Amino acid sequence: MVRLDLAGMLPREINRKLKDLIKSEQEIEVVHTHSVHNFATALIGHGRITVEGSTGFYTGGFLEGPTLLIKGNTGWYTGDNMMSGEIIVEMNTGSNVAPSMLGGTILVRGNSGSRAGWGMKGGNLIVCGNVGRWTGKMTLGGRIIILGEVGEGIGESMYNGVIHVLDQAVEDKLGGNSRIIPIDDKEKAEVAALFRKYEIHQEVDALRSIVPDVYGHHEYLLFKPTHKKGRQG
Amino acid sequence: MEAKAKKTRVKDVQRGVWKPEIVAEIKHKAETGKHRIRGCGTPRKFPDFDDLLVLPSQLTRMSIDTYREDCKTQTVLGSRYAKRPLVIETPIMISGMSYGAVSKEAKIAMAKATDIVGTSINNGEGGLLPEERANSYKQVVQILPSRMGFSLRNIEAADALEIIVGIGAKPGLSGHLMGSKITKEIAQFRQLPEGIDLHSHPRHGDIFGADDLCLKMDELRDITDNEIPIFIKIAAGRVWEDVKIAVKAGVDGIVIDGSQGGTGAAPVVAANNLGVPTLPALVQAVRSLEDAGVKDEVSLIVSGGIKDGADVAKAIALGADAVAIGTGAMVAMGCVVCLKCHEGKCAFGIGTQDPELRKRLDIDKAAEKVANYIKGMTYEAVILAKAAGKTQLHSMEREDLRSLTLEACAMTGIPLVGTNFTFTEPFGYF
Repeated sequence: MVRLDLAGMLPREINRKLKDLIKSEQEIEVVHTHSVHNFATALIGHGRITVEGSTGFYTGGFLEGPTLLIKGNTGWYTGDNMMSGEIIVEMNTGSNVAPSMLGGTILVRGNSGSRAGWGMKGGNLIVCGNVGRWTGKMTLGGRIIILGEVGEGIGESMYNGVIHVLDQAVEDKLGGNSRIIPIDDKEKAEVAALFRKYEIHQEVDALRSIVPDVYGHHEYLLFKPTHKKGRQG
Repeated sequence: MEAKAKKTRVKDVQRGVWKPEIVAEIKHKAETGKHRIRGCGTPRKFPDFDDLLVLPSQLTRMSIDTYREDCKTQTVLGSRYAKRPLVIETPIMISGMSYGAVSKEAKIAMAKATDIVGTSINNGEGGLLPEERANSYKQVVQILPSRMGFSLRNIEAADALEIIVGIGAKPGLSGHLMGSKITKEIAQFRQLPEGIDLHSHPRHGDIFGADDLCLKMDELRDITDNEIPIFIKIAAGRVWEDVKIAVKAGVDGIVIDGSQGGTGAAPVVAANNLGVPTLPALVQAVRSLEDAGVKDEVSLIVSGGIKDGADVAKAIALGADAVAIGTGAMVAMGCVVCLKCHEGKCAFGIGTQDPELRKRLDIDKAAEKVANYIKGMTYEAVILAKAAGKTQLHSMEREDLRSLTLEACAMTGIPLVGTNFTFTEPFGYF
């Protein structure tokens, strides 16, 4: 275990230091992060970095291999374009968590903002709390699991991938070009394995899956009249 | 005997605004309840570089011997912060055209052409085709909102990066790739269901605004360790303000794509009505960079309807460092600009994924034609530059130009031919 104090360090210096340390250290503890942006950008390796605090925007962007354990909160775009590895956020994230994520797992034990898993391409995103609107918009792959309440437009125009939800009112909040189906046994087993690994105490039977509605053509309405037909008054 | 009254044929009736193409558009909407999609961008006539003329050297300066004296064309882009700027032998780059919108054979041919003439190709949306990278002289890799086929590996393979904000043919809109082109191979490459009509993201999921762009730039600089240039491509709209924001964000270069730019598929209403033509957009970008005091730091690349060497010379004279071509390169390979790229049935094997049609494109011959086209354009630009008395193409300056039309004069601030007068804010020496 090595301890790294980030007080007064700029993001580029921090990341350069982390890149050096991760080559030889398996456990790195980081303090005084002061919600620094661009923390652990494109960090490649196999160690574990524990942050005793919060980090800012773009935490773990392009991460490839390591585990980041953030004991506080993270800002917007956590795990953007993440390649592999793990990001575990003990508290909350800002909006747009895991945009265009390719692989690995992001676990948020608290809440997240809107547009979680935007254009996600692979890996797992688990949010134990609530999320805002447009979760999983236009995903190309991967698995999103939301255990709290979801916002409007979830699963909008998904191309591939799956979103598992507990929210019983999700029908009213479903985005276009997606549909809700029961979770199947294979998915249950995979999700249960993730829950065991991350000590999430939640039964998988109550989950439902949101998947792309059609394979062929999405339907878009650019004009949505709300009036009732026939002369009024 | 009274002459029989001649009937007026339907086609001879003068209909004012209700021209055949207008009638056809109305009928299309009446049948489908939808807008029309079309390839190639707008067929509208906009003011362009033909509205400018180059002043030859006579007694005021010496001309350079066209055939026996040198005029340098080597172009260096992105040296603001990058340790390894993009160095190409001609200021003519090949712009982003996706593997998907065009065939693998077309991508390889264009990549090979860049190796022949020493310029760059740009991968476009939907990932970096390994065969393109293997054959290209210099590879620009786009970072698009959709991020299809994009990963850290793409960044590592790049000689330059280009963040896409918009394209001139459909600024503010997402990418369109019709289902006819999403074959099994393209679907796998982009992680899409086979045969689906793709309407990709119009904005980046990890750049929601100008402040975030600054942080994203820091992230990319960290990844690349400032080795390679990072450009940003902006569709011409509020050019003055957009350029200022891009400069503040710390880019090495700006690509301004005018509304004559092409595309594989776009709503007709978008192509015809959104954005600013290339010529006035370039002038506004130059003015904005000069106002910010970074004209010599930030590279400026212009695209959208660039067709010949005269356009190149005039664009450089106005302040561009390079131009990018798309449709022109496809025409060199055989394209006839039928405006039907979106249908995926290109008879020349360019804008198609049909295995039989693709066989019609001979990669090596097509590469030679594209290379010849770029070479010929460069020759043309050099001829004009030498006639204007320049030993470097990049020494072309706005004082070498005059506007042929009142419209061009008003838009560019370049004096009208035969005068030293401008009708708006002067642009240059006057």
